[in-house]
Amino acid sequence: MVQKTLKCSTCGNTLTLEVSTQEPTYATCPKCHTRAVYRPPPLVTKYTLQSSMETLQVTNVTKFYKAFKAVDDVSFSVKKGEIFGFLGPNGAGKTTTIKCILDLIHADKGMISVKGFDTRKEGKKAKQFIGYLPEKVAFYDNLTALQNLHFYAEMKQLPKEQCASLISLVGLEDVGQKKVGEFSKGMQQRLGMARAMLGSPSLLILDEPTNGLDARGVVLIREQIKQFRDKGVTIFLSSHILSEVQAVCDRVAIINKGRIVAQDTVDALRMRLQLKPKIVLELQEVTKEMIDAVEKLDGVDAVNVIGKMVHVMCKPYVKAQVIVTLTQKGAKIDNLHIMEPSLEEVFMKFTEETV
Amino acid sequence: MNPQPVFFIAKKEFMDNFRNKWVIVLTIAFALLAIVFSLFGSIFGSGWQDIGATVGVLTSVVTLIIPIIAIILGYSAIIGEIERGSMNALLSLPTTRFEIVLGKLFGLGSILASAIFIGFGIAGIIIGLNIENPDVAGYIIFIVATILYSWVFLCLALFFSTLFKKRSTAMGGAIFLWILFIMIIPTVIQGLLFAEVGFEAVISGEGAQIPDWYFAGRLVDPGSVYTSLLTLSIADAVDPGNFFQTPYPSYYSAALMTVLLIAWISIFFTLSYWRFSKKDI
Repeated sequence: MVQKTLKCSTCGNTLTLEVSTQEPTYATCPKCHTRAVYRPPPLVTKYTLQSSMETLQVTNVTKFYKAFKAVDDVSFSVKKGEIFGFLGPNGAGKTTTIKCILDLIHADKGMISVKGFDTRKEGKKAKQFIGYLPEKVAFYDNLTALQNLHFYAEMKQLPKEQCASLISLVGLEDVGQKKVGEFSKGMQQRLGMARAMLGSPSLLILDEPTNGLDARGVVLIREQIKQFRDKGVTIFLSSHILSEVQAVCDRVAIINKGRIVAQDTVDALRMRLQLKPKIVLELQEVTKEMIDAVEKLDGVDAVNVIGKMVHVMCKPYVKAQVIVTLTQKGAKIDNLHIMEPSLEEVFMKFTEETV
Repeated sequence: MNPQPVFFIAKKEFMDNFRNKWVIVLTIAFALLAIVFSLFGSIFGSGWQDIGATVGVLTSVVTLIIPIIAIILGYSAIIGEIERGSMNALLSLPTTRFEIVLGKLFGLGSILASAIFIGFGIAGIIIGLNIENPDVAGYIIFIVATILYSWVFLCLALFFSTLFKKRSTAMGGAIFLWILFIMIIPTVIQGLLFAEVGFEAVISGEGAQIPDWYFAGRLVDPGSVYTSLLTLSIADAVDPGNFFQTPYPSYYSAALMTVLLIAWISIFFTLSYWRFSKKDI
């Protein structure tokens, strides 16, 4: 462990951290609560880089359905302990990519490895590290929840004892002895999460994990994802709920029409698109002098005044300066709200550009 | 290959069918069938028939119903799980497609094997207690041959389960094959025989000589192979497809018939695995 300083990408606050030289270290900025990550520099050889850092490596994967290219030369990697969001509109190729990772669908080209094991050639070894929650969760309806989990535990050669505690973890302890055929969609989804967690996998692949869940179920699943993140489990999360992805993911990839159109941290994607934050201020009194001073600042693109509300569109580095300038001009701020560009805007921008 | 996933899949298949009473129903049906046929099977004599005569009468019914039961058990084994969505989860586990198909075969095969063994076994004991000098070895051969015969159609149904995208199509295809093997192929071969020997000669049995090609042709039909195996192995057992009980050609042997049944099982199992290994789920 060594001491490193990091600068928060949102508020510029300096963080001092004890970091590992081999694995990413995560921290939360105490000021703005943005999640920060320290990544150690690349290791010496390609082999050690792949085996120790990248839990999932997808390289140039292509899949045809007859003449239709469902997945087109897709490449990305997910590092150990990372939460990787996989986004795309319906029919973009998200589920096909996931099925290629699990070898449920045979890719026509490319290579996929999990912890260094080729999923085609060494599928059994690769799958030992994977927990999977499919988009369409299905169980054996004639068996109880517990009997279902016992079967999957046996198949993974795990002791059956952990099944009961996993059922409790997902809040199904009262219905563990009920047949799954009597379960609601939400209950099946939660049981699916318990199945994915069997054997504490290193890589969790979650395909639309909150699909069809009620509000309580959504909160429960999000809590579980956070718990896994804290334990250092690598998570590959495919979801169409962008706020969910933005809240938990370290990096995202956006797929559209079978191609990866962007992949990076959400902040970096915002920067790349030059999406600007919007500052909304409620002042006790608005004067022309105040507005002129703000408009003259380098990095301010537009200022709109609606009654006592002032909307300022500006580059991220000038946010603090806007507020300082207004107070210097005698403005008394009753309310302040900074609206960062959301992942929705990033997503729409990238998917529009490729339509 | 790891035997543990194969065992657990087979165990699950067996327990599922045990829970829904399939095994019990089949066992009772087989036992009753053998007892009734032994007790009332002959119009030439009253009382319990010996093993050969019982097997002879049973064979004509068994060749029809065993394939249907095997097809009902097997046609949805793979496609049913794919349609339901549970195959996704199964294939995400550290197991191979070969182990899954093998587990399905052993699981469903053990249902058929135990129902045949226990059902016909209980009937055999009851028959044996009521007749003199029962042919125990012959009856055991009958049970083993029936199990092999059921597995031929089970593997055929498994293959169709991997071949189609819908369970209903797989069932339709498997039933078509049952009609092909049980009705069309034997009828075509017999039709050719009538054409060559003459219908009158076959019906009257006077001066008719069964040509060698007829026996060679029968080897492509698992039902004929099964009945030939029983006729060759059990004294007094009668092959209903062998008109006038003409002696079999010299190349006909119990060993050849056993090898042919095992070959059918191997071919359909290999085709099932090959098709499943190529399938996108």
